[in-house]
Parts: sequence; structure tokens; C-alpha cells
Amino acid sequence: MTVMEAYEVKHRGRIAQTFIYLGKLFRLFLFQSDWKVLPMSAVIAGLVAFAVGGNLYKTMEGTLMGTFALSCICVWNGFFNSIQMICRERAIVKREHRAGLHITAYVASHMIYQAILCALQVIITIVVCTIMGVTLPQKSLVTPWPLVDLGITLFFITYCADMLALLVSAFARTTTTAMTIMPFLLIVQLLFSGAFFSLPKEAMPLSNLTTTKWGLTALCAQGDYNSLPMVSVWNNALKLKNVEIDGGKPLLMMFQYIEENDMREDILMFSAQQNQKPEYDFSIDIVIRCWLWLFMWTCVYIIVTVILLEFIDRDKR
Amino acid sequence: MDITFNISLSSYRTFLIKYIMISIGYWGIFKKCGVARKWAFIPVAREYHISLCADKEKEGRVYTVLSIFYYILEIATYFLQQFPRVYLFMLIPILGLFVALVIYSVKIYFGLVKVFNRKKRWVWGFFFFEGFMAIIWGFVGSFQPTKKVENLKMAEGAKELGRDLSVIDEGLTVNIRQRTVFDFYKKKNLLKDIHMRIPKGHMVLLLGGSGAGKTTYLNALTGYEKADANIMLDKNDVYKDYAKMKYDIGFVPQQDLMRGNDTVAMTLSDAALLRLPKEMSVMERENRIASMLDQFGLMAVKNSLVDKLSGGQRKRLSIAMEFITDPDLFILDEPDSGLDGVVARKLFVKLREIADEGKIVIVITHTPDRVIDLFDDVIVLAKDATRTGRLAYYGSVKESYEFFGKTSMEEILLSINQKDEGGEGRADEFVEKYADIMKERVG
Repeated sequence: MTVMEAYEVKHRGRIAQTFIYLGKLFRLFLFQSDWKVLPMSAVIAGLVAFAVGGNLYKTMEGTLMGTFALSCICVWNGFFNSIQMICRERAIVKREHRAGLHITAYVASHMIYQAILCALQVIITIVVCTIMGVTLPQKSLVTPWPLVDLGITLFFITYCADMLALLVSAFARTTTTAMTIMPFLLIVQLLFSGAFFSLPKEAMPLSNLTTTKWGLTALCAQGDYNSLPMVSVWNNALKLKNVEIDGGKPLLMMFQYIEENDMREDILMFSAQQNQKPEYDFSIDIVIRCWLWLFMWTCVYIIVTVILLEFIDRDKR
Repeated sequence: MDITFNISLSSYRTFLIKYIMISIGYWGIFKKCGVARKWAFIPVAREYHISLCADKEKEGRVYTVLSIFYYILEIATYFLQQFPRVYLFMLIPILGLFVALVIYSVKIYFGLVKVFNRKKRWVWGFFFFEGFMAIIWGFVGSFQPTKKVENLKMAEGAKELGRDLSVIDEGLTVNIRQRTVFDFYKKKNLLKDIHMRIPKGHMVLLLGGSGAGKTTYLNALTGYEKADANIMLDKNDVYKDYAKMKYDIGFVPQQDLMRGNDTVAMTLSDAALLRLPKEMSVMERENRIASMLDQFGLMAVKNSLVDKLSGGQRKRLSIAMEFITDPDLFILDEPDSGLDGVVARKLFVKLREIADEGKIVIVITHTPDRVIDLFDDVIVLAKDATRTGRLAYYGSVKESYEFFGKTSMEEILLSINQKDEGGEGRADEFVEKYADIMKERVG
């Protein structure tokens, strides 16, 4: 009597298999240097905080640039976390699928593992930004704590990008292919965020496909973008102060008048009022809507990943 | 600003003239290569068939698919000229496709140059003057291919046994009627008419040339890729009870597919958790893992990372992962690849021991003669005239020498391999001879 015949044949189901693979992933985290993504995220956050953190949540322009940069580092982190995860062991997964592995369990283990990784990266990013003196949102919308709100948004962005990279990893047969696709996706994410770069009207619907658009919108809304002053008009006008008209310098006189009467802030706020964007209103509805979009895309990526991997048996040798 | 695009009629006329010139040239080339000439004028089909002439079918498939998209976009742009933005947007994929098409056409022309035994510089001619070159190659008598495209539709396969064998009580009964796939819109027969009964305790060598269908046969046997077949392990139908039976069949792939940065013990432990029944107690499972480590000589390295193991140790671990369920049918795809003679011999001795425990062990190896004394039987698969995998022999090793009139397995392999592969091209002869013997046996 064989080992199998001695028992009523029942094997471990999806939940048990998820935990088997989760254990495997955490072992590989230690042995395969996957842990390096954590210090890497600290370095990236530090660089971004240094470069664009100064005016984040202080002026409209600084906020737009800073939140765009924050979205980008989240996307970058997410991509790097999982872009090679499946393709590097594709043949192994195929063998294990043959031996009874459920693809849903395999993907679920990756989802849990990556969620933990993303959460850690978000914590690291927030800590680094705080240490570097970057201004972060002071008012909360969804939870009682503004930093938790911010953390959830950053997590959703990172995780959504992570799952997109996991999809690419499931689609690509080799790590080389995956790494070739990644920069292309990254460029799409950056260009089509719909806020930082001006897009033609016809291309705007495409921005709904990107993680950066929803991430950036939520981050701007959480930072009460529309309550911030706008400095670009003032700064550009200031460059014209020495322009002479009929032997006089009327612009310089005007600026002196504004400064003497302490009207600068009013001008900046007036300038901002003319440039407010309703989509960045400090509103719980906007933030929740962005989260839902990010969540929906995450689900789409996961479903497609599972479908793609279900066909792994068709891989040629 | 109102932008209007006027694509001149002359550019379409040029395109049409070029298309006709190339088609006329292909007409001649197809005739020389044994391809139906009608395809020369049909878009997409001509791209595929020129690749057949160039003996570059793989590239030709990509070339054909790219051509389909290219033609569609070209036609679409013709009708979208009055929408400048859309028109310009369409030019981007057209440009991309055009570049890809040029690259693939160059690959195919390199193949054509090789088949026609000409100097590589002719590719430049095709690159710049495709139409003229095609006409020269198609109609000048001195341009003759060294290899013609095989027309398998006309070929007749060797005669068949054509009936299923009865099921044996203890062992593996294989009745594969056929295994077909759709390959690039064409139905392709991979295996046909394979019938055998392998008793328990036998160690069987699976022999066959490249493309003879060894892996397809094993996949059909294990139910991994189902064929039009009846596979019975003892009294159990492998296909009908696949969910259960897959745990009773061990398949060790050629590559050592394990995670290099996991330890030996954990690799085995995870394999046990995945493959062994849920009801098995922790103690029993641990004992089973320990016995595998012991049986395959891995106890000393159980805490080492898989990456640190030698080739032989890694192969033994790969086998242990499958053997942990104590399967009745154990299949190994080239377990000795990359191992030296002594290590390979030790491995096969271990497999012999497994067979002696009453298991069926089927092994593919490319160096069978050094371990042939350990095998009971041999299965010989061969490609017949229709390039379908057929059974040329199944029986004892000793009788196989007599059947083929050879003294070693390598000689047997040479006798069944196609002539263009350096073999004797006698596959059909042996397939028919074996079918006749089987007919006599089963009545």
C-alpha cells in the first residue's frame, strides 16, 4: 500500500497553500536579498524630500510637484517590489502547478507578502519625510489622524503599482522581458498622470488608467490644495520689475507699494483663488473616490494575473 | 488651423506595382520550392509561405502576424485621411510595424540565401530592390533551392495497430489513439496509435530522436496534456481521476526546478505539504521527509541552500521532491543531464531500486548505453513520414537489439532518425513491423 493509498486522498486547499507559499516568500525575503527594497525606498524618499520637499503642502506649485514626486516614488517602489517575482521562477511555478498548486493560492500569497512590503515602505517614506522636515497634511479627512490618511493613500498607490508589476511578471516569460516592459509602463504612469504634464483634451480619459492620477489627486485633496497660495504668478511678475515705461518703473513701484502695505499674501491668495481646481477640494468624497479607483485597478490587475497564470501549463519547454 | 492631407495617388500606385512585382517573383520562388503558387498573390499568405521556402517558419509566423496588422492599419489610414489627428496617431504603430517587418524580412532573406546556397550579400539586393530580386530568384534557372518544402499532406503515415489493448490489473495500460494540437491555424498530429502495457516493477527507457514526441507522450501519459487516449494505472483511469491520480504520478523534469535560496529541508518540507495528504500527521510527515533525506543521501546537506548543492545532490533533491508521495508511476526526463558517468550510474542504480519496490519507472536519457543493463524495457518513439510521433517498438531491451538488428541503443536511435538528421530514415519500416507483431500478438 502506497503512502497515498493509506489515506482518503485530500490535499491542502487554497488557504493552507497560501500560507505555505507565504512562508516561502518570507524565507526568500531573507535569503534572496529581497529585503533590499526597504533601504532602497528610504534612499528614494530621502532624495525626493531633499529635491521637492521644501514647498510640499506650502504652495500650490510645490504641492503639485511634490505630490507628483511622492506618487512617482510609490509607483517606483511598487514596480521594483514585484516586477521579477513570478517570471524569475516561472518554470518552478509550472512544475508546482503540475504537482497540485492552486494559482489563486500562489497569487494570494504574493498579495499578502507584497502588502506587508508596501506597508513597510510607506512607513519608511513617511518617517524619512518627517525627519527631513517635509510639511505633511495637518488635517484629516477619513480617519482621525492626517498621517494615517496620507499613509493609506501612499499604500494604495504603491500596492496598485505593485500588482501591476506582478501582472507584468506573470505575463513576461523572462526577467529580461519584464525589465524591458517596466520603463515603458513607468513612462506611461508619469506622462498620463493628467496633472503635472498638460495633456490634449482627447488624451485625458487615458489618465484614468494610471495609478499616479488617482494617487496625486488624493494627495492634493488631503493637503487642501485649494487653500494654498499660488506663487508662480508673483514670481514671474517680479522678474519684470525693472521694465521701464516712459522713463519710469511702474511695476517696481507697484511691488514696493504691495510690500509696504503688507498685501503680498493677499495677492498670492487671490492668484490662487483664480487657479483652484475643484477636483482637489478638501473633501472626503474625493479621497474615497480616488481610493476606490486605486482599489479597483488593483483588483483588475490581480484578476488578470490569476487568469494569465492559469495558462502557465501551456508554456513551451 | 485647417489641415488637409492629400496622399497622392502615385504613392499607392507605387505600392501596388511593388506588390505585384514581389508577387510575380514569389510565384517563381514558390514553384522552385514546392509551394502552391497561388499563395504568391494573396497578402499575408505569401509572407508565411516565403518563410517556408527560407526554412524559417518560426520567424515566418511572427512576420505573418505583423503583416496582418500592417495591412489592416494601412487600409484604415486610407479611409482616415480626413481626420488628421487620428491619421497621425495611426502612423506611430505603422512605423513600428514597418520596422519590425523589415527586420523579419531580412531574417527570412538570410534563410532564403542559405537555402539557395548564395552569398549573403544578396540580402542587400532584397533589402533595396525587393521586387527585382524576387523576379530574378524566381525565374533565373541558376537560382535553385537546395531544399524543398515538405508537403506533408501528400505523405502517408505508416500503418497502424488501430485498436486498444485490454487493461492489465497491475501496471500501466497506455492506449493513445492520437494527440493533436492546432499549431498556427493548422491541425497537427503529435502522436498517433501508441499502445502498450507496462507491468509494475519495470524500469523503462524512453528512446526517440528530436521531435519524436517523447515529452508529448509523457505529458499525455500523466494526464498533464490530455490526448485522445485511455490511460489506466492499475484499474484507475488517469484522465477521469486526474485530481487524485496526479499525486500518484511523479514527474521529475529535466531542469532542477527548485528555489536556489531555500534550504534542502524546507524545499522538501514544502513539497511534502503540497503533495502529501492533509490527514497525514505531522510526525508521519516529518518521518517521510527524514526518510527521503536519508534515501537520497541528503541528510548531511539538509540545512544547506539549494544553490550550494552539487549537480548530483540537486538532482537527487529534485527526485526526492516527487518521490515523497511514493508514486506508483515515476517519470524522469533526462535525470543524468550534466552529471558525470559515475554520479549518473549511481543515480540510475537508485532508480533501479525504486523500480524493484514495485514501481514503474520511465526514464528519458540521451546516454542510455552506459546504464542499459539496469533497464527492463525500452519504448522507441519515431517520427513517421507525416512527422507524427509513432511507436516503433516496446519490449525488452534484449529483444530490441534483435528487432532493430543493432547492438546498441545509439545505433537504434540512428536507424529511426530521419535522413536529414543524419539517421537512416527507417522509422516507418519499424513502426509497421512493430504494428504487425502487435497485431499477431493481440489477434
